[in-house]
Amino acid sequence: MFEAILPPGSADIILDVVWILIKIVLILAPLMLCVAYATYGERKVIAHMQVRMGPMRVGFHGLLQPIADGIKLFFKEDVIPAEADKPVFYIAPVIALLAAMSSMAVLPFFKGFVLADINIGLLYILALSSIGAYGIVLAGWASNSKYSFLGSLRSSAQVISYEVAMGLSLVGVMINAESLNLTDIVKSQGSMFWDWNLFPQIIGAFVFFMAALAETNRTPFDLPEAESELVAGYFTEYSGFRFSIFFIAEYMGMFLMGILWATCFLGGWAGPGDNIHITLPLLGDFYFVSLGWLILKVFAFIFSYYWIRATLPRFRYDQLMDFGWKILIPLALLNIVIIATAKIFVKYHLIDSLIKVIS
Amino acid sequence: MKIMNFLKKIFLWEILSGLWLTIKTGANPRNVVTRQYPEEPRQAMPGFRGLHALVRESSTGREKCIACGLCAAVCPSQCINIYTGEGPDGRKVAERYEIDVLRCVFCAFCVEACPVGAVVLTEHYEYSGYSRESFLMDKERLLENWDKYMAGDKGRFYLKNFWRPMARDFGEYEGQPVFRGPKKEQAK
Repeated sequence: MFEAILPPGSADIILDVVWILIKIVLILAPLMLCVAYATYGERKVIAHMQVRMGPMRVGFHGLLQPIADGIKLFFKEDVIPAEADKPVFYIAPVIALLAAMSSMAVLPFFKGFVLADINIGLLYILALSSIGAYGIVLAGWASNSKYSFLGSLRSSAQVISYEVAMGLSLVGVMINAESLNLTDIVKSQGSMFWDWNLFPQIIGAFVFFMAALAETNRTPFDLPEAESELVAGYFTEYSGFRFSIFFIAEYMGMFLMGILWATCFLGGWAGPGDNIHITLPLLGDFYFVSLGWLILKVFAFIFSYYWIRATLPRFRYDQLMDFGWKILIPLALLNIVIIATAKIFVKYHLIDSLIKVIS
Repeated sequence: MKIMNFLKKIFLWEILSGLWLTIKTGANPRNVVTRQYPEEPRQAMPGFRGLHALVRESSTGREKCIACGLCAAVCPSQCINIYTGEGPDGRKVAERYEIDVLRCVFCAFCVEACPVGAVVLTEHYEYSGYSRESFLMDKERLLENWDKYMAGDKGRFYLKNFWRPMARDFGEYEGQPVFRGPKKEQAK
């Protein structure tokens, strides 16, 4: 059909593009639903930890609350400050959302389901999370408000500091998997929990967890949007749908960090029974058990976010910097040393040869 | 002990115990203290000071008020207006008795000052309106409030425990001229 009007071979390209578009929809649509209900879950979990009830009015126990919020935000007036730098003001939330969403491209959701199976997956994610910081900084700058500006300054300092720790904590995982491809990282870990990276690299896992909290601006590292100090931080001047774009980007970032955490330290989609699959027409194999494992791990991670938010107060700014530079980075370096040494010992069977030399 | 403290610091003991507290609190839904207000209205405690009412005496069907004006005099926010006149039997009556509920601070001084226990505060607190006029209570509406919220046993309980004219609780020196209610009541 296509050969008649297009050069030969272009049918395959068009099919590929369509297939990628379908995959994007398959990833983003459930993810947006998850993001919407993550807000609901957060409000409920924190409410119960603070002996409140949380949303109760819209639907059964407030189950339709995220939808009501979405409709409200969509129809709210979009206020732009008179002194704002308009083009930058428009583009800042888009950058934040773009960075969060396009990171999803390299994440393996189950065996054989990755949008872009590239061999620099981890590096790509780290790079994009830095670009996400641009959205925050530009938003603070363009708003022309001192609260936004302070929030964005804090955010840029924080993200830069903790990105170092996060990158270093992932080096141990890279050494273990000998690859930056996230699918390879999953495959380098076994399906049972004693095969995961979590236990050999408990220090790295701890550093990653803390850095992920800081990267997504969550309590106790939520200085960029400290409600009690800066109104709302970098998105103080945003309202309506632009605000909700920032909000979605933030929660998307949480899910990204959750999936990354599960992939790098908890074995990703691996788990007992991850080979069970059904073969769907057109779409290929669907490993629903392994997808379930990934979802379970990610949700546990997100729940721990809420749990920590309900428990810990905010850091002071100098404490935040101290924690990042004086504790997390040395710990991450220690992790690299331990893992690298162990890897060399295992790879070249040094223990056997040591025993041989001694005997 | 020093080693113990060091280990506690390393393994974030304080944070972990805090996390344990929050999960313990959050896991039990019976801990929730929220009242789902319109569905679960709050029961007023005895002695609650809500919307005003004028006691309707069952024998006459009229208000108990003797138009002495003590309530209006004692009212700190001056929200009570009384216009007195002469009744059919030659007694002083309140022709108009108005309370501006929006100005009231619910101190219940009027209830304490009233020598006959005629003005009271009911347990009703869910009142709202679209105009200021709807909160300017005249005599008829105040009497209606009594019928609606306090008639019967509840009113009797309140009259016995909370709205008893306070003048009866305090002694005074011999020869002090004191108003002790209308003559008929004293004779009882």
